[in-house]
Amino acid sequence: MIRVTLEGEVAHLVLDRPDKRNALTPEMLASLISGVTQIEATPARVILLRGEGSVFCAGFDLTLCRDHPDGAMMRSLLSGLSEAIQSLRSQRRPVVIAAHGAAVAGGCALLGAGDVVITNDQARLGYPVVRLGVSPAVSAPFLRLRTAGGAARERLLDPSVITGKEAQRIGLVSKSVATPAEVHESALAEARALAEKPPTAMAATRRLIEEIEDVRETGWRALAVSLSLTGKDEERRLLPSVWESGRER
Amino acid sequence: MSLAHVECSGRIARLTLNRAEARNALSVELLRELHARVDELAGRSDVSVVVITGAGKSFCAGMDLKAVLGNHDLALSLLTSLAELTHKLRLLPQVLVARVNGAAIGGGCGLTTVCDFAVTHADSKMGFPEVDLGVCPAVVAPWLVRRLGAGRARMVLLRGGLLSGREAFEMGMVSGLVESAAELDGAVDELAGRLAQGGPDALRATKGLLNELDGSTDLALLRRAAALSAEVLRTPDAQDRLRAKLGS
Repeated sequence: MIRVTLEGEVAHLVLDRPDKRNALTPEMLASLISGVTQIEATPARVILLRGEGSVFCAGFDLTLCRDHPDGAMMRSLLSGLSEAIQSLRSQRRPVVIAAHGAAVAGGCALLGAGDVVITNDQARLGYPVVRLGVSPAVSAPFLRLRTAGGAARERLLDPSVITGKEAQRIGLVSKSVATPAEVHESALAEARALAEKPPTAMAATRRLIEEIEDVRETGWRALAVSLSLTGKDEERRLLPSVWESGRER
Repeated sequence: MSLAHVECSGRIARLTLNRAEARNALSVELLRELHARVDELAGRSDVSVVVITGAGKSFCAGMDLKAVLGNHDLALSLLTSLAELTHKLRLLPQVLVARVNGAAIGGGCGLTTVCDFAVTHADSKMGFPEVDLGVCPAVVAPWLVRRLGAGRARMVLLRGGLLSGREAFEMGMVSGLVESAAELDGAVDELAGRLAQGGPDALRATKGLLNELDGSTDLALLRRAAALSAEVLRTPDAQDRLRAKLGS
């Protein structure tokens, strides 16, 4: 469900579960992390993270939580997400993300791993999860690096989603283009342009930015906040609406 | 009638600055009542969202400096009270929405900046004209930096003057904009209703982490800011400019 392919100096890291809108499972998150390690051993100079099918990523596959009222599945998803973001951030190659169609909840959180993020004007982005008793806190340290503090607060507390155009206005994405097809073209062009830069200078610059941002510790702290709600009364009360409504996000 | 009152409807509370005849300017008495109302709200686990607004045409015209002009101790106590109120508001477990019904100026604009969300209409007036009066907008500065980022906050605070609601929206000072005052309630009710659907524990945990990450818990910084603001206020330049402005 995660594919790694090399195209010249661009390593494609692909969420490949299009029938489920690339909804994330613990296995996919683990494969994302091992995909990053796998790319380390290649001559690739840039990572292009993208999704197969109609959208980039619809978030966690919450139907998996159905059989785990103790919150074990949710904990595994949250931990895997946080680790995946951190592993993409801490490796040395620049990361371009093609977030076409939708980047929702955990899918939106993944954008925090991108140096350059492209979406389309009609795409849906955001965190509609507080309604489910889930805290998107895990995403907060990374989201705050992309947008101003006020916008980060609004996005994390307001369960509505915003358009790609609005996401560009607040800085959540680097650029919004007209169509999903253009997202892929534009992201590939960005990735190729970055691949032409001298890799040593790129890696040094990225490392310095990472040091200035200093979110490793706060990243784990934020994960702990999201984990603190798992398996608790509120989540147990609200989360079943996902499968009881028969509607998958 | 009290200077600050709270009404509840479902999980949404509305906190109103009720001093319309003075454009809801923050006096010692109004601040004291706001402290009391906010203390009460802090214990209300049945409330998820607090909407703050002003009675009459203004949201809040800022600090009521007329009464403290020429009296450093009173000025310091007024500014410290505002500083502590902003801290207390930020640390409320509920999500805060400013319903900016009209002018929100200086410390009044500061109150909107502390909120998680602010909604206004295109023709309202917002901003920080402190520097124009020889005064330092120290208490509000940390909140504006947290909301806008340092670059934009520098520009807004050092430029002084006022912005229209539309300009404030474009600057990122408010999260929502409607065209006319008549549309404000619809937009605020929709936002508050949506926020109130969130799990209270999830909202509280998320907001608490955001406060931790952006330094909102730092009360000492705000008290130092109040002291700085009072120091600048006692300078002859500030006193002269304020006397001319306030006509006293």
